[in-house]
Formats: sequence, structure tokens, C-alpha cells
Amino acid sequence: MSDSTNRLSSLRRRFSSTSPITIAFIALILGLVLGALIIIFTTPVILNSWRDIFHSWSSPWRAVKITADNVGAAYRSMFTGSIIDPPGLWHSLTTGKGWDATLTPISETLTYATPLIIASMGVGIAFQTGIFNIGANGQAVLGGIAGATVGSMLHMPTIIHIPLTLLAGLAGGVIAGAIPGLLKAYTGAHEVIVTIMLNYVVYAFLLFAVLSTPLQQPGQQNDISRMMDPSSQLAPIFGVASGLRVSYGIFVAAAVVVFAWWFLDRSSLGFDFRVTGANPTAARASGINSRAIMVLVFLISGGLAGLAGIVQAASTTHFIDGGFLIGNAGIGFTAITVALLGRNRPMGIVWASLLFAALGVGGRSMQASTGIPLDLATIIQSAVVLFVATPVLVKEIFRLRTSPTATVQLATKGWNS
Amino acid sequence: MELVSIASATPTSIEVSVAANGRTRAIGAIMIGIGLFTGLVFALGVSSAAHSGLTFNPVNLSNAPWHLGNLTVVTRWVNLVIAVLMIALGVEVVLRSPRRAVMVRFGVVAVLFLLALLFWVVRTPGPSPVSVINLTAVLIGSSEVAMVLIFGSLSGVMCERSGVVNIAIEGQFIGGAFVGTMLASTTHSFIFAALGGAVIGGLLGLLLAFLSLRYLSDQIIVGVVLVTMIGSFSSYLNLQVFTPFPQFNTGTLAPNLAIPLISKIPIIGPVFFDQSGFFYFMLILVGAVSFALFKTRYGLHVRAVGEHPRAAATVGINVIRVRYINVVLGGAIAGVGGVAFMASQGQFQPGYTSGLGYIALAAMIFGRWRPSGAVVASVLFGLSVYLSQNLQTYNVPVSTYILNMFPYVITIAVVSGLIGRVRAPAADGIPYHRE
Repeated sequence: MSDSTNRLSSLRRRFSSTSPITIAFIALILGLVLGALIIIFTTPVILNSWRDIFHSWSSPWRAVKITADNVGAAYRSMFTGSIIDPPGLWHSLTTGKGWDATLTPISETLTYATPLIIASMGVGIAFQTGIFNIGANGQAVLGGIAGATVGSMLHMPTIIHIPLTLLAGLAGGVIAGAIPGLLKAYTGAHEVIVTIMLNYVVYAFLLFAVLSTPLQQPGQQNDISRMMDPSSQLAPIFGVASGLRVSYGIFVAAAVVVFAWWFLDRSSLGFDFRVTGANPTAARASGINSRAIMVLVFLISGGLAGLAGIVQAASTTHFIDGGFLIGNAGIGFTAITVALLGRNRPMGIVWASLLFAALGVGGRSMQASTGIPLDLATIIQSAVVLFVATPVLVKEIFRLRTSPTATVQLATKGWNS
Repeated sequence: MELVSIASATPTSIEVSVAANGRTRAIGAIMIGIGLFTGLVFALGVSSAAHSGLTFNPVNLSNAPWHLGNLTVVTRWVNLVIAVLMIALGVEVVLRSPRRAVMVRFGVVAVLFLLALLFWVVRTPGPSPVSVINLTAVLIGSSEVAMVLIFGSLSGVMCERSGVVNIAIEGQFIGGAFVGTMLASTTHSFIFAALGGAVIGGLLGLLLAFLSLRYLSDQIIVGVVLVTMIGSFSSYLNLQVFTPFPQFNTGTLAPNLAIPLISKIPIIGPVFFDQSGFFYFMLILVGAVSFALFKTRYGLHVRAVGEHPRAAATVGINVIRVRYINVVLGGAIAGVGGVAFMASQGQFQPGYTSGLGYIALAAMIFGRWRPSGAVVASVLFGLSVYLSQNLQTYNVPVSTYILNMFPYVITIAVVSGLIGRVRAPAADGIPYHRE
């Protein structure tokens, strides 16, 4: 009896304090509320229903109902499009049929989450070392270009082709990561500006690559690459016939998670990384070669981003085009927000990736069924991260107690760092 | 900017200056390399009979009562002279390792390179359909990009001099351009558009200031997330509002306001005195920000807060208030910059600022956190952005996409070469909390 009251009160304390999970949960709710407000203020039907209260003396209840219907429909299709559609599940459970259709949303979310986990792990390792790698998207694109080249131009048995394709993607990311790493280590150029500029360089290179002879689809004038050989594609686990796209890439992501955990928590190099991130001066004083760390962290972070790029191409489209990962929804940019939400820890990143993948996939289904643009998902994602980046704000709004673990942590410290 | 924090600056400063010397020589070597390339490809690589034309008349001839004749030069010789100049500058840097203005010399070499490139592309006989460069048109086109960059880097100067890194300039550009096109299309007044841009930029600045000053969030992270958020929000609204109602996004360009008489001076007139109102406003703003920061009591407070907030607080300056004011004003300036961009480029499209906000940030660093320096840097970057977008009209045998990389590569080169030579305000990016 007293044990259970104790447990209850400890549970209550846990959820009313600023533990990272509570903050993340509240941030998500606030993000969804912001998204709802945006829908309300940009949907003519809703706005008209409120105007009608004064215009034609319609009942305010009608306006509330129309608002709730529209916002509800948007979020419902977000949920059913990314996780599960309850009636479909019920149908499958009772009749034993239609499992493929029922599982499609969750399969899509996992498909989207797979490269996101890999890229975010790279960004997270960089953050833990005090490095802000905004170049993950460019590195992923270069990885995609390199991997798609190997995947489409070489022909060999699957058992060699897949590893080689993935390695090419990794190498592409390593090359794109080496530039800011070397520049930071040897000239001190701030990685934020260099990586942002490199993103644009890589985007231009992408258009150049998919419009030039070796990589462009033969007989095409458009910015589209050759198809990757089936032997280089990451096949769907449940077979092509099932329509479920979740691929063997998920095992690559799992391996990356294990690697990141081992690297950060168990390896001595990972320890040096974290010391450098926590206190660069102390790291130098203890004999850590900060220059080598700067280069290495970018090689690892870039390599993972590049791997994410090729996993994305090899498991979904099997080609790349001029719009590959471009825009605010590019996995390299989402990876930054995912790493921040997951507090740069491997398991945190896995959960955050799944959440943001669900938002992204759900956003697409929302766009298809209600016409509300997919960008809403990105807005919600960035709002969630803004709230997570300012835990004190969330704490103040909800008058939460401060738990000892919640401290303001800075990843970067301006130009002079 | 070196890998030296305040705590360890003293013991390693000698090491740093040695490293800086080695880097100076490396920059000199790069300058010589570019010079040699220019000499070999753009001068010796063309037939000695080839010649290039140069014209100075504005496109709108009614503004030019004095017609300047075309100047025809022998491509090989003029480019050889340019190449020798570039190599001479590089040799000087390698031999003397000057302590100051190395990157300004680098900038001069970059401009000379672009000039030689222009002479080379318009040569006849050659592949280009155009045999004459219109220097005035090139300067006008570049000045439009430079103007936007100057707005952005002035915004950066305002914020960073007070100790807050405003990496959200790109977002303020996007917000300004969005609101600007909406107001310009509906009210037909660019004054309202500029005011709207200032308001939205200022609000974004306020949000950045609020999160980073009150809640001590990481300024760079908040800035980057804000850019993502504004980028997707504008893309969302573009689909929701501008697609069904194109009358809100007509993309009218701001009219040129020619100043009587002086706008008729050859070359200088059309470039400086026959521009849109935004251009003149930008010129006034450069002077105003310079004056405010370096000649007024308030500017002294701002700089004190940016260098040593605790000392500033000790003498009674309200650190947080100064930072709030500057970040909001800086955001407003960048917002107007976004409107100016829209007013010179036309209809709003998601992502059409293509990283100009970040280039403006680099221009601010290149300009050593000073308005005058930011102007020089923005002109260089503006020229490279404009040419990389417009060289295709001359049938250059290089892919458009490779040319498009040029301004970004220049930015990386400049930012890498500068480090150790420029110093950010000491408290830049470091949250301040009263104790």
C-alpha cells in the first residue's frame, strides 16, 4: 500500500518536473497546438465560419464545430497516415485480411525514419563534440550521388554490390565532411558558415551530376539519374509484392545505433570526443589532440550523413534527381532537429527520429487528403525543437519543478569558440 | 576566431601568429596560382587576333546624354596585364607577409579574375553571341545583389556588436520578402512594403532575442531552427495564399528614382543615382549605423556590451536592454533587406534567397564587424553572385551549375583565410546572465 503510494508520487514528481521526456512531450503538444492555430488562420472555410457569426448571425457553435472538424480531419489523417488506421486494423484483426494495407502507414514511417536515424546519429556525435554540423544535408546528397553512381554504373552480385554502394555513400559523405573538418582544424574557419556554403555547392553539383552524361538517365533530358541496379538496392523486407517499403536498410540503421552507443559510451576515442565537447580547454590540457578530433568528428559525422543519403536512395526511389533531399524537409536538416530533440543520445535519437518521421509521413497523407501543405509538418518539427531548446520557457509556462538533470546546455558558443 | 578561448589566449598567441604567417603565405600562393591560371588560359590560351569589346552605356539610353564609344581591346594583352597584376599581388603577399589587409588583396585578385573572365568570354572570334561587355549593366546587376547583402550584413553588425549572433538573417530575408510582396501587391506602395518587412524582421529579431537573452538558449541553434521554421512557413503560405490568390504576389519591381542631373554622369550616374529607393535607403543606413555605433554614446554602450558585458553592467549599462534593442533593430534592417530583394527580383518563391543571408553573414565577418567593411565585402560577393548567375548568356563552356558554385566557394575561401586576422566582439554569442 505505502509502496504503491510512493511509486505513484514518484511518478507524479517525475512527470511534473523538467525531465527531458516531460519537456519533449510538452513541446510536442505545444507544436501541435501551433500547427492547429496555423491551420485555423489559413483555411478559408474556418475563417468564413467565424466571420458568419457576425455576418449572418450563425451560431458560434457551428464555427467551433467547423473548426474542430477541419483541424481534426488534418490531424486524424496525419495519425492514420503515419501510424495506424483503427478501422483498418479492426478489419484485419477480425477477417485476417488486408494486413498489407493496415501496416503500410507504419512501414512508411519506418522507411522514412531509417535514413533519419543514421544522419541524426552523425549530427548528434558532432554536437556531443561541440561541433554544429549544418552540412549534414549536403553530405547526404553527396553520399547519394556517390552511391547512386556505384549502384547504377557497376554490375556485380548483390553480396558485393550492396556493401560497395553503401561504402560509396559513406565515402561521399566523408569527402563532404572532410572539407569543413580540415578547414576548421587548420584555419579555424567556423564550421557553421563553411557547411552552409558547402550545402549550396553540393546542390549545384547534384544538378550538374544528374544532367551530365555518366549519371543521367540515357535518353532523358530531365535532371534524373540512371536507375540503381536491383543488386544494389536495399530490398523491402516483406517482398515487393506486399507493397510495404520498409527495407533491410533498417538493419543498417540498427548497426549505426549500436556503433554510436559503443563509440560514445565505451570507446576511448568517443570519450575524447565528449571531453572536447564538454570543455575544450580541459581536453587540450589533458593532451587530447583537438585538431585531430575536429577532423575525425567531421569524417564520422559526414560519413554517417552520406550513408543516410544512399540508404534513402537505395531503399525508396532507387534513383536520384535534381530535387534529391532539397529544401527544408531534407533529412540532413531534419537530422539537426532530431538530434536536438533526442539530446544527442543514441536511444533519444531513435525515438525522436520515429516521431519526426511519423510527422513527415503523416504530413504527406494530410496533404493528400485535406490539401494542407506538407510544410506544416516541418513547422511543427521546428517549433518542437525551439521549445526543447528553451526548457526554461516550457518550465515557466507550466510551472514545473526543476529536476537536477535539466540544465541549459550549449552546443556552440559563438564565433570565438 | 582561432581555436583559442579567452582563458588560453595568452600562452598560445605566439604560436597563433606563426601559424598565421604560414597561412598568409598560403593565401599568397593561391593568389599566384589564380594569376597563373588567368595568364595561361585567359591570355595565352586565346589567339592573338582575338579582341573584346567594352561598353559603358546604360541599357536605357535616354538616361545617357553623353554616349561613350565602345572600347575594343586585344584580349590576350589586356588579360596578360591583369594576370601580371594578380601575380605581383600574390608575390608581394608571399614575400612580405603583410599583417593587414591580406584578404582585401585577395578580394582584389578575385575581382581581377572576374574581369579577365569577362574579357575572355566575350572575345571575337569566340563562342559568345555577345562580343561586348556592358560594364555599366554588370555593375548595376551586381549592385542589386550587393544592396541586399549590405542590408543583411548591417543587420549582423548591429546584433553582433552587442554580443548576439544573428544567424537568422536568411529567415528575416525570407519573411521580409514574403510580407513585402504581399504589401507591395495590395497597396502598390513600396513604403508600406518596407515598413511591413521591417516589422516582420523586427519580430523575428525579438523572438531570437527573447529566446537567447531571457532563456539563454544557444543563439546559433535557435537562429538555424528559426530559418527552417520561416522557410517552411513561407512555403506553406505560398501554397495556401499565393497559389489560389496570385494577386497577392504580383512581383512588381520597385521603380527607379533617378536623381536629376547627377544620374546622367557616365557609369557612376546609372550605378549610384538611378536606383530604387531601397538603394538610397541602404546608403543612408550605412552612414547611420556607422555613426550610431562609433560616434554616439549609445554606440559606445553597444560596443561595451558586446566586448565585456559585465564591465558594462558595472558602470550602469542595462546589458539585456541594449541587446534587445539592437537585435530587434538588426532584424528590422534584414527584413527591409528582404523587401529590397523582392523589389529587385520579383515574385516570391520559396527558397529564392538561396543562402544570401548566410553570405551576408560572411560579408560581415569579412568586413571585420564594421559597416564600411561590410560594404566592401558585399560588393565583392555581389559581383560574384551576379556574374555566376549571368555568365551563361555569354555561352561559357562551363556548366551553369559549376558557375553557380562560385560565390559559395569564394565565401568559404574568404572565411577560411580570414581567421586569426579578424576578431569578433569578445562576448559575441555568449549568453549574459546577471548574478
